[in-house]
Amino acid sequence: MTLLMDTVAVVLLLLLVVGLLRIWLGPEPADRMLASQLFASTGVALLLVLAESQAQPALRDVALVLALLAVLSTVAFVTRVMQVARADSRGERRDV
Amino acid sequence: MSDSLIMLLQALLLVIGCLFFLVGTLGLFRLPDTLTRIHALTKADNLGLGFVVLGLLPSVPGPATAAKILLIWLIALAASATAAHLVARTVRATDASRDREERA
Amino acid sequence: MNGPVPGKVSVLQCFASAVVRTVVLLVLWWALTEGDADAVAFGLWVVPLIVVLWWRLFPPEGRGPRVLATLAFGGYFLCGSVAAGLDVARRLLSPRLPISPGYLTYTTSLPAGSPRWLLANTLSLLPGTLSVTLRGPQLELHCLDTTAPVSAAVGHVEMRIARMFPR
Repeated sequence: MTLLMDTVAVVLLLLLVVGLLRIWLGPEPADRMLASQLFASTGVALLLVLAESQAQPALRDVALVLALLAVLSTVAFVTRVMQVARADSRGERRDV
Repeated sequence: MSDSLIMLLQALLLVIGCLFFLVGTLGLFRLPDTLTRIHALTKADNLGLGFVVLGLLPSVPGPATAAKILLIWLIALAASATAAHLVARTVRATDASRDREERA
Repeated sequence: MNGPVPGKVSVLQCFASAVVRTVVLLVLWWALTEGDADAVAFGLWVVPLIVVLWWRLFPPEGRGPRVLATLAFGGYFLCGSVAAGLDVARRLLSPRLPISPGYLTYTTSLPAGSPRWLLANTLSLLPGTLSVTLRGPQLELHCLDTTAPVSAAVGHVEMRIARMFPR
């Protein structure tokens, strides 16, 4: 069972790395923001699997915090982009 | 006998979970724009997480831990739905301001 | 400093609400500490304080959601999210990528507040829809496939949510 779980963990890690390629490519800032959703699902699954296979219960707490922080990072991003968009529509150019 | 049956079921659930994660990541590359990518990521990945959590349930130490990982899944669901909505709204707003600029 | 309790809420309803909230928080604490016996004493101190704070922020408003309809909606939502994942998988794995994305504005008849938010948030996890903006009763959705009968599906979810919240 541990072997299977470790394999699952490796697959999830690889998918996370492949997903980061989309963040690298962009092209829109919103595409890059999908990273937070990717970590909130794939990252949480990875941590939960590792918590079992490595017998590290603390990793479950890390998963919990990761899921909660993902929303906060999205909120921060959205607030900033909305401010920039509003400034643009008023004709003020601001460096992003 | 029933132990090995449970292990088989667990393995099946974990593999199904991985397949859904694979679909979600595939969606990030096959789909043409941000909004459709959000569709794929939100739906497929959360289902993948759900299957992985179900697959882990039989090996956790006790019922409290089982409740905890189910809770983590629920939080991830809520987080994902909220994040999807917020990013989609931002994409819509920036598209609208870009349209205005082009018309001006 | 008690929260603004509306006059129509009876004493019995207040009591039931307090009991339900305490039980929910105790279960939550039990799950978060993974049933650790050392943490119980701390939880017994913290839970009543959180109940008071919860009461201050969200005082009980008459009857809560119906229990049976809520469970039914939970089951429907789980089946729906499995269908959503399979739907996305089917479209992505098919070589010609059968999607025709577009926007759709739906006018909901649900009351403002939690019913509308629940509709917007669950639709993002159900097949083919993603909620984009919610302005009053106007819910703007992004659809993966505009040729599918999206409005009918949304109406179905809306009806199920309406059953949870008694008028």
